[in-house]
Amino acid sequence: MRKFGLHFGLLLAVAVILLPPLWVLRTSLVPESLSYSTDLMPAFTTGNYADLFAKNHFGTFYLNSIIVSVGSVLLALPFAATTGYAFARFQTGGRFARFLVLATQMLPPVALVLPAFAILRGVGLTNSLTGLVIVYSALNLPFLSWILMGFFKGIPVDLEWAAMTDGTTAWGAFWRIVLPVSLPGLAAAGVLGFILSWNEFLFALVLSGPRTSTIPVALAALQTSNGVQIGKVSAGVVLAILPLVIASRFIQRFIIQGLTFGSVK
Amino acid sequence: MASIELSRVSKLYANGIVGVRDVDLRIEDGEFIIFLGPSGCGKSTLLRTIAGLEGISSGEVRIAGQLVNNVAPRDRNIAVVFQSYALYPHMTVWQNMAFGIKMRGAAAAEIETKVQEAVELLGLTGLLDRKPGALSGGQRQRVALGRAIVRDPQAFLLDEPLSNLDAQLRAEMRLELVKLHRRLGRTTVHVTHDQVEAMTMGDRICIMREGRLIQAGAPLEVYANPADTFVAKFLASPPMNLIAGELVEAGGGALSVKACDEIFPVPDMHRAAYAGYAGKPVIFGVRSEDFYESPQEPHYHPVTVKVVAIEALGPENILIGQLGQTRPIEIAARLTRHFRAAIGSSVTLYVDARPMHLFDVETTKVIARPPLPVTRIAP
Repeated sequence: MRKFGLHFGLLLAVAVILLPPLWVLRTSLVPESLSYSTDLMPAFTTGNYADLFAKNHFGTFYLNSIIVSVGSVLLALPFAATTGYAFARFQTGGRFARFLVLATQMLPPVALVLPAFAILRGVGLTNSLTGLVIVYSALNLPFLSWILMGFFKGIPVDLEWAAMTDGTTAWGAFWRIVLPVSLPGLAAAGVLGFILSWNEFLFALVLSGPRTSTIPVALAALQTSNGVQIGKVSAGVVLAILPLVIASRFIQRFIIQGLTFGSVK
Repeated sequence: MASIELSRVSKLYANGIVGVRDVDLRIEDGEFIIFLGPSGCGKSTLLRTIAGLEGISSGEVRIAGQLVNNVAPRDRNIAVVFQSYALYPHMTVWQNMAFGIKMRGAAAAEIETKVQEAVELLGLTGLLDRKPGALSGGQRQRVALGRAIVRDPQAFLLDEPLSNLDAQLRAEMRLELVKLHRRLGRTTVHVTHDQVEAMTMGDRICIMREGRLIQAGAPLEVYANPADTFVAKFLASPPMNLIAGELVEAGGGALSVKACDEIFPVPDMHRAAYAGYAGKPVIFGVRSEDFYESPQEPHYHPVTVKVVAIEALGPENILIGQLGQTRPIEIAARLTRHFRAAIGSSVTLYVDARPMHLFDVETTKVIARPPLPVTRIAP
């Protein structure tokens, strides 16, 4: 009986979490006119998806999101890895530098978005993907540095010492030993950075233009003065979630495998 | 091939902690030397300063006569085997072993021969394509050694390499390391906190405490002539029995130690050395193996001990007992495996006082006396 109660509770919790996304999925596959029907599946159509791509340039926005998210991670990771390593192994900058890195995360994004806009306008990068990539990298950098610092701290310093007596420089030990050993950590950090950039709305809204919008901005644009095109919004949300679902599977595998090495006892 | 010379080497950390203090030591070419001490005594730090992995605050480190204070680890041509083995987890056994000479720009053919030699020497055939994660502790240990050997370094620095192995494997590897040293003839520094390793493996032991080098010498010499109570206790299991007492004159120039309600006559051979301490408090040190269950020699001195516990180890029995009535202290005596006694009963043991030591109460340093031969003492 107790077991039954427990399972019932769990089922309820799962339902509370899963129902909204499932309802979004359902709405995306129902014609716009029937979206608000209380029937489970009044009719079936893929029209919302087709419209999204045909009439709303969703393909472009999707590509924009991918370019911006992947690009910002690729740009930020090398800096984050070196910063994180310096913080993990050396006294670089002392406590104050570490605090500063964290402090940047405490500012509300609104406080940063206008200066970012001013800077980008100054160098002519507003309304461009390059500008967004750079700003997202900057936003990701402190967070990624912090995560990687933790990861590098977990790597036994003996490995680097062994490499250095084996004939590498300190940089060589980082490059040939620490980085390969940290690949799972780098991947995990990269995926987290990707998710952050993928979901980001405010900066994209302010810094991008009609052709350089990312998915969150494009979805928001579907709420017009004539009403919300809920069918298309739902289809867009489903498409937006898809990479995240894949990414989180990925990150799980990497994190679990990443911390079980046989190098040291 | 290289000697290692340390002169007044100190290592202070930024937070004021002292790693190593004023160490002077010359390690001869080809010597197998042991750094022994409790954890935190600075022995591993000292090893790392030789390797160049930690800078020193003052002093000089010379390898093969060359000052290496500012020489990077990779240019010192020494190999370190770490307690954790520190195998590169993303490389196979072969890659691990080849990494060092590869970094030094060796040709492919040379790498192949060198690795192959080490593989045969250490019996690693068949494991070459495995990654460290798929090896047992003993195998990892061998790979770590192999990685060091392949490099053909001037000196081997071993940082507690055996402490992660189980007891049986440790005993095997102990012997194997000694054989390896005999075969390769390289200067070897072995850091350990295990006194069995220290006694059996090295040409010389260096005992360290709180960053200082307390005593260095051949294992049996150090064992027979400890410099202070710390060495006396540390280099044996059970540790030397240290009994606080007083050196008194017993008439006719004879001396005795009065301690724990007992009078221990000082052997005549030590009389001259100890005469100056007559009437002063001293610490009387007697090793557990100098207790006997029967008076085999006429000069053995009987004492009464109350049995607290008996640890039967198989080849011998260790008796833990209380000496004295008013303020009893616990002593350990190493007796034969035939010794039997009930817990709580009183037994008479016989002390051979000739290998005894007296220590100064204030400095805890040994009161110098002429050393005895380290093996059998003629009656």
